[in-house]
Amino acid sequence: MVELDPLIHAPTRLQLLTTLSAVSEAEFATLRTVLEVSDSVLSKQLSALVDAGYVHSRKSLHAGRRTTWVGLTDVGRSALHDYVTALRRMIDAVD
Amino acid sequence: MESSPAAPDPADARDALAAAEQARRRLTAGLRLPAGFFAAFAVAVAVQLGTAAYGIAAQTVAGLGVVLAGLAFFLGTAALLLHRFRQTNGVTVDGLASQIVLAAGASASLVYLGALAGGIWAAFESAWWLVAVAAAVGGVGCALGARRWWRAYRHDPADRARGASPGLLGALAVAACVGFAALMVLG
Repeated sequence: MVELDPLIHAPTRLQLLTTLSAVSEAEFATLRTVLEVSDSVLSKQLSALVDAGYVHSRKSLHAGRRTTWVGLTDVGRSALHDYVTALRRMIDAVD
Repeated sequence: MESSPAAPDPADARDALAAAEQARRRLTAGLRLPAGFFAAFAVAVAVQLGTAAYGIAAQTVAGLGVVLAGLAFFLGTAALLLHRFRQTNGVTVDGLASQIVLAAGASASLVYLGALAGGIWAAFESAWWLVAVAAAVGGVGCALGARRWWRAYRHDPADRARGASPGLLGALAVAACVGFAALMVLG
């Protein structure tokens, strides 16, 4: 039986972690646009992933306004890899 | 604490993976390099190579000053290019920073080292036109290497996004400047 990480199971979180795997850090607003979610949804999902140690976040000032930068941690990268591998195995087993 | 989820239906799993891939593609497809990125990078590398060759061959304090000025020009240009990339796209990519600051690709590194060695030799021979040619070849070679990396990154971002951290690159830049400054003082 394949074990799936419950922290990544929500579609938005899987998309968020997969998107972050393509960059070192992304601005909150960039992620919101790419994922097509609201501020509150993204904040909530990010908080859960930060608490789990999958994602790190830091505040920064840009043109006088505060921005949040988010990046995947090594733990998060490894968890994402394991999750995607498990999903692919599941698909391959059926195919 | 979140409980372990039920295994999804394979069709749902496939859809979930496809949606995640699509989100990543949306991000990387939208990434843009600032206008003149590779041209500015080529010029910065060429200036750094040319000044390094001249300064090393001169073997004077003034020559080391030229080396340091060329290095500062290169680092300033690299920092500006990466800052503009970050501003334009709302992301940072350490792999790109490594390509720009360290000429991290194998072919770019070889071209850079070859151009530097050739330039220094030409400077010792006072063949200044050859110094200019070596610097230009090095600049264009490094820019082509960076462009090749960028295309590969767009094709496979997850495998190529990582690189030296900004902290490490900053430390290397400071070390290079302090090293040359120490040479100037000791010389």
